[in-house]
Amino acid sequence: MEKREERLLREILSFYKGQQGELIPILLQVQANFGYLSEKARKLIARFLSITEGQVYSIASFYSQFRLVPLGKKRVTICRGTACHIRGAPRILEATEKVLGLKEGETSSDLEYTLETVACFGCCALAPCIRINKNVHGEMTPEKVKELFPHLK
Amino acid sequence: MEKIALTIDGLNIVADKGMTVLETALRNGIYIPHLCYHPDLKPSGVCRLCLVEVGDEQLVTSCRMKVEQGMVIKTKSPEVDKVRRAIVELLIADHHTDCRNCPSSGQCELQRIMASLHISVKRMRPLKWAREELPRDTSNPFFDYDPNKCVLCGICVQTCEVVQGTSSLYFVGRGYGTKVAFFANKSRCESCRQCVARCPVGALIPKTVR
Repeated sequence: MEKREERLLREILSFYKGQQGELIPILLQVQANFGYLSEKARKLIARFLSITEGQVYSIASFYSQFRLVPLGKKRVTICRGTACHIRGAPRILEATEKVLGLKEGETSSDLEYTLETVACFGCCALAPCIRINKNVHGEMTPEKVKELFPHLK
Repeated sequence: MEKIALTIDGLNIVADKGMTVLETALRNGIYIPHLCYHPDLKPSGVCRLCLVEVGDEQLVTSCRMKVEQGMVIKTKSPEVDKVRRAIVELLIADHHTDCRNCPSSGQCELQRIMASLHISVKRMRPLKWAREELPRDTSNPFFDYDPNKCVLCGICVQTCEVVQGTSSLYFVGRGYGTKVAFFANKSRCESCRQCVARCPVGALIPKTVR
């Protein structure tokens, strides 16, 4: 971990007392600042709270909100809510997986793309939809998915 | 020691104050199925198999229920059996039931529970879901962990944390994907094998001598 990052992490920890009940608030704050929970961050947190690294990992792996790997620059989210599902979300997911060469939940090795699915992001009228960072693209088809990533061919 | 009189399955029983219903029943030769209970550990009440009926049809986990004067306990009743059977069936549906090749066969708590409820593996087969067998974790130099057999009772995790004070076993993940793992802290394992000795099924098995 870079010096700067370690300093930021220590600064975050300085707001806490070191009690075990603070683990989840700390994890949330660290993730908000770094985007994910790196191994070194987990190690420092464990030492700060006098628990083992595995116990930190155990909690972090239980909640789907916590990420253990960094997020790609472009976060591709596919809705698989009821409306999107009926209108073909599984095929959209399949097409996106093919285009990006990633499986659901994976991040590309160059940290460009992260592919994930979500239960619903409230754009049912545009079903099936896909979100890239903050932009929602509605009424998708497998062909349109390819057009979204023109440089990936 | 203050004595407390209670009734379990119609038998009048005297117990010491502070004992749990499960302990009292086991001490008096009444078997209540249980998976996550171990006499050395604090009862966690996660397996829900030791449910008994107290008084007017209220179901409670007997491992966490302290005895009270004049309690009337039923360890078997249609309601208890219904709930317990469902739990056991769900466990077995997600359990590797190749008992013949399992080194724990004969000492397995799950087998004992199945026998007491008259559940046969054969009849359970249609309920099993097709799932790929998970790989064994052989990273520990002293024992192997088989996630296909684990019932996630938490005895090993609690033993490592409370009894041995090493905390090198943890639950990882959630739901059906939950596993017990020892990674990252392998060096802390003192090979006491307390966890292996206490595993109620065949999930933790000592490495055989080659």
